[in-house]
Amino acid sequence: MNESAVTPSLIEVHSVEKVYDDGMIRALDGLDLTVASGEFVAITGPSGCGKSTLLHLLAALDRPSAGTIQVDGYDLNHLRRNNLFRREEIGLVFQLHNLLPRLSVLGNVQIAMAGSRRPHGERSAYAKKLLGYVDLDHLADRRPPQLSGGERQRVAIARALANDPPILLADEPTGSLDSSSVEAVLGLFQRMRDERGMTIVLVTHDSVVAGVADRVARMLDGKIAVDSPPDAHDL
Amino acid sequence: MSLIALVLGNLWAKKARSIGIAFAIGIAVMTVVTLTVVSSGLESSAAEVLAVGKSDFTVAQNGVSDILFSSLDNGQLQEVRSTTGVSSAVGVLLETERINAANPLFIEIGISPADLRPFGVTVVAGRPYGATASHEVMLGWRAAQNLGLHVGDRFKGNGAWNTVVGIYSTGISYGDLGAMFPLPALQAYNRVPGSVTLVFVKTVRGFSIPRVERSMTSAHPELTTIRTATQFGRADRNLVFLKAAATGSTVLAILIGAVIVGNTMLLSLFERTREFGLLRAIGWARTRVIFLVVGEGIVLAVVGSAMGVGLSFAATAVLEHLPQLAGVLHANYTPGAFWRGLFTGLGMAVLGALYPALRAANLIPLKALSHE
Repeated sequence: MNESAVTPSLIEVHSVEKVYDDGMIRALDGLDLTVASGEFVAITGPSGCGKSTLLHLLAALDRPSAGTIQVDGYDLNHLRRNNLFRREEIGLVFQLHNLLPRLSVLGNVQIAMAGSRRPHGERSAYAKKLLGYVDLDHLADRRPPQLSGGERQRVAIARALANDPPILLADEPTGSLDSSSVEAVLGLFQRMRDERGMTIVLVTHDSVVAGVADRVARMLDGKIAVDSPPDAHDL
Repeated sequence: MSLIALVLGNLWAKKARSIGIAFAIGIAVMTVVTLTVVSSGLESSAAEVLAVGKSDFTVAQNGVSDILFSSLDNGQLQEVRSTTGVSSAVGVLLETERINAANPLFIEIGISPADLRPFGVTVVAGRPYGATASHEVMLGWRAAQNLGLHVGDRFKGNGAWNTVVGIYSTGISYGDLGAMFPLPALQAYNRVPGSVTLVFVKTVRGFSIPRVERSMTSAHPELTTIRTATQFGRADRNLVFLKAAATGSTVLAILIGAVIVGNTMLLSLFERTREFGLLRAIGWARTRVIFLVVGEGIVLAVVGSAMGVGLSFAATAVLEHLPQLAGVLHANYTPGAFWRGLFTGLGMAVLGALYPALRAANLIPLKALSHE
């Protein structure tokens, strides 16, 4: 199976279904979605509508029960080296930052570069540069428990950028942050789209957060119910 | 951040547990190294007995549990002497006796005075004993020094008080730490008339020593020949058992240690489930996760092995000073003992870490990330 066929959009999801417990739970039900390169898309919807499931499929952390997913030319149904795809093609940001508490802030960014093509000698400098990008270079030697929630999330964003992936997938990244931290994180996402040309897929249930995206796809019962610019939604 | 830095950091973060595992490995390595050093030391100590005679090889009874239990009669001694290629064959009776607390296994050698020179004995003070003298003894110079005795003094050995008529030197410390008696006197006291323990053989110049040995053992299968410490190790059944015990303890140590290490690392895996899930989610390959966990095991093995070797020095020193082994056991630290210790430590750690490593590598990232 060809894993690197050229696709017109960066992300193409066709008729994807995801069922659990022998079909008792249908998380995604024939979902279609396309995301162009450099686009910032917010996925919203009520709890249990399948937002996170979709994101996990896009990150190759899970496989669809039916349908096809193409991400940057990779056919995720037939991906042989998931780890390579996750390292090189996507950056992941979770609601919980998932930083390793015993590593320094710098170490937490560097750890994502393990096995990457970047030469060993350049990794530390590049990690520092990324920390500068998220305005945390002055905290490089601190440990995660010494940081605020917003700072930890920004470290997680720097980690997601470690291998210069073209796509950032964020699952409720502002879910546990105060309002000023939310603003900082969203500002970072916009900069990443504008300055680095990244394609961003952000899952959120917060309409204010979704409002910063170029496009909002509202999900309901495992499908995209409304897909339009944010001002078209009843946010 | 290199993998080794991560490995060291992970171990450092759980210092108490890491030290505990390393210590467990160290105890096992100590046992293995000490047993190896002891068996090797006993082998070389015992082999020194053979060196006393300065012969080409030694003949003993085949299949005895302890070489000192070998018993050869006059007929066998004559058969050895009549073997083609044999220049001289000196029959010697070897016994041990407790003479005081410091000398629980004092070596006593029964040998005819006529055989002293071929046996490599030099009388350095006094004179040799008479061939049939009943209460005369010669002391090795080291023994005389240790006991504070001189020519003319009285020495209690061989079941009676004897006059020290001479001091001798063999040039071999083991021989110089003992005493020599007329052969019939030692045979009589030990109730083995006409018997000797070992025969020290010199070959005619130009004859192949191994060929003479082979012709002797093929003609007399009840005899065995010993030329090297290794051959001694094979001839002495006790030493064979001791070596087998050392090998067995190595295997057992590896298996038991692997279970302990594996169990502790599984607990660590359980605690670090989210971490491994995250590493897989951000693109770590399974092999890298395996290297991380096994690497932690290898570092623990190296540290534990070093601790074990250190502990074995202490354990061996204690054993050397036990009354039962004083003067008999001389620790023989060979490279092989250290390699065996390192091999044991590595075996324990790698075997123990392998299963947790495979479990960690095969965690499903999504499930692992939601682990509480």
